[in-house]
Amino acid sequence: MSTITAPSENTTGEQAPARSGAPSLWRSLALRAGAVVALVAIWQAVAMARVWPPVFVPEPAAVWEQFLRTTGEGVSGYTLQEHLLVSLRRILLGCLYGVTGGVVLGLLIGMVPTLRALLGPLVTFVRTLPPLAYLSLLVIWFGIDEEPKIWLLLLAALPPVAVATADAVRGVHEDYLNAARSLGARGHELPLRVVLPSALPEIVTGVRVAVGVAYTTVVAAETVNGVPGIGGMVRDAQRYNQTDVVVLGILVIGLSGLLIDFLLQTLDRRLVPWRGRT
Amino acid sequence: MPSPETEPALALAGVSHSYRSRGGTVAALGPLDLEIAAGEFVTVVGPSGCGKSTLLRLVAGFAAPSSGSITASGTPVTGPDPARGYVFQQHRLFPWLTVAGNVGFGLRGLPKAERKARVTELLELTGLGDVGRARPYELSGGMQQRAAIARALAPGPALLLMDEPFAALDAFTRERMQEEVRELWRRAGTTVVFITHSVDEAVYLGTRVLALSGRPGRVVFDRASGLPYEEQPRGGQSFAALREELTEVVRLAASAA
Ligand SMILES: Nc1ncnc2c1ncn2[C@@H]1O[C@H](COP(=O)(O)OP(=O)(O)O)[C@@H](O)[C@H]1O
Ligand SMILES: [Mg+2]
Repeated sequence: MSTITAPSENTTGEQAPARSGAPSLWRSLALRAGAVVALVAIWQAVAMARVWPPVFVPEPAAVWEQFLRTTGEGVSGYTLQEHLLVSLRRILLGCLYGVTGGVVLGLLIGMVPTLRALLGPLVTFVRTLPPLAYLSLLVIWFGIDEEPKIWLLLLAALPPVAVATADAVRGVHEDYLNAARSLGARGHELPLRVVLPSALPEIVTGVRVAVGVAYTTVVAAETVNGVPGIGGMVRDAQRYNQTDVVVLGILVIGLSGLLIDFLLQTLDRRLVPWRGRT
Repeated sequence: MPSPETEPALALAGVSHSYRSRGGTVAALGPLDLEIAAGEFVTVVGPSGCGKSTLLRLVAGFAAPSSGSITASGTPVTGPDPARGYVFQQHRLFPWLTVAGNVGFGLRGLPKAERKARVTELLELTGLGDVGRARPYELSGGMQQRAAIARALAPGPALLLMDEPFAALDAFTRERMQEEVRELWRRAGTTVVFITHSVDEAVYLGTRVLALSGRPGRVVFDRASGLPYEEQPRGGQSFAALREELTEVVRLAASAA
């Protein structure tokens, strides 16, 4: 972190804003951990009260046992790690394609009025659809292996990024463009040198939304031939009333989602340190 | 054919501009005829909303005038050009680049080493030698405006356009910056068009002081001044006299608007 040596004019009371550093990072981590502990405590209390039978509300200990079993000998033919990794790979690929496509599409929609008229409504239409609505279509088109799942995640991740990018691109302050052009930038250089970087805060926010949507969609994507995969694992467990495995699967999805969002927040701070400061 | 040296640095002929808005068109500026010679430091004052920013944007090529023509050193202005640097009222530094990155933005054509040397030189010149790696938002208002000036100077413009660059600064910083800009201009000899709403600033900096009428802005006052060449312009009689006269002109323009 660079500290700025104050020039003499700063003695007049002008102050450069201070940067918030590492402590807030630990604080947010501690808050997250605290929330998790509190939730587990409530869960334990509810389970011990035996209001509902364990097949509805399994105890934390039973889920923990399943955690040990599934990470060791596995379930539905694969270990928990393998299920998770396959799901994460699908999310990663889906988001990668979705975000790339979303940024490109957003740039085009934001900058070319004709394309905005053509593609804008289509993107909005796809965004309002629940991903499950077009899963069947994707299965018909692409079969039941990896392809339809990646496509589903792609289609879920793309619209939020495209919409965020398009809005940000249209909102680029014209004086940034004027400044760049009076500094010799040519028209064809503007998208990469000015438009994209100035839209970066909104794009990164869009990416976070997209990853979130992909997370909520992956379980749905894995209801068809989803083993290995966390969603497939949960679905199998549901068939055999293994509630503890279902809960375990939900927890793993949720916790890994938290972790990913935390990583994305860190990425946000790295990529957009000027957020809220211009 | 006149040679480039005898061409005015800037010539406006019958320039006027109007904006289309909901209630029809609003005449914002002109008609305006103006010739500015190379090396002049022209300050422009006028009531708020009289078209000062509009004038500067047209000269920069950010927009085309509704009528009339603008030529810079004999070449018609058709769009933004690195020959005309622009300093905005809000610094408009690119927040995604460091201060050095901003200053180097207009030096893309240069080889890397040369570019770096030029950036360092400009940062030194504007007193930003040790903050090149900082981000614009980490600087004070005065430093931000200095960085914006350094960025505009980087491509070596023949004409520097400044739109109320110090309006947002506190009084102390503002006086300092005025002194620095005067120094810069005396050393570099760039032609400057400097918009301000401060009569004091206009008189202090301008080798030629213009005042515009209320909207649509026309030139109602045009006076050459030797004050910027003096060591202590503010002390003397002529400073006070010109300042008083100009204050009266602007007051009249504002009340007539
Ligand atoms: N983009 C625009 N659209 C419509 N009207 C504008 C626009 N920009 C400026 N104006 C109007 O034109 C007039 C002159 O504006 P401006 O040049 O910014 O004045 P100044 O810089 O002298 O305060 C003002 O009345 C303003 O409201
Ligand atoms: Mg203005």
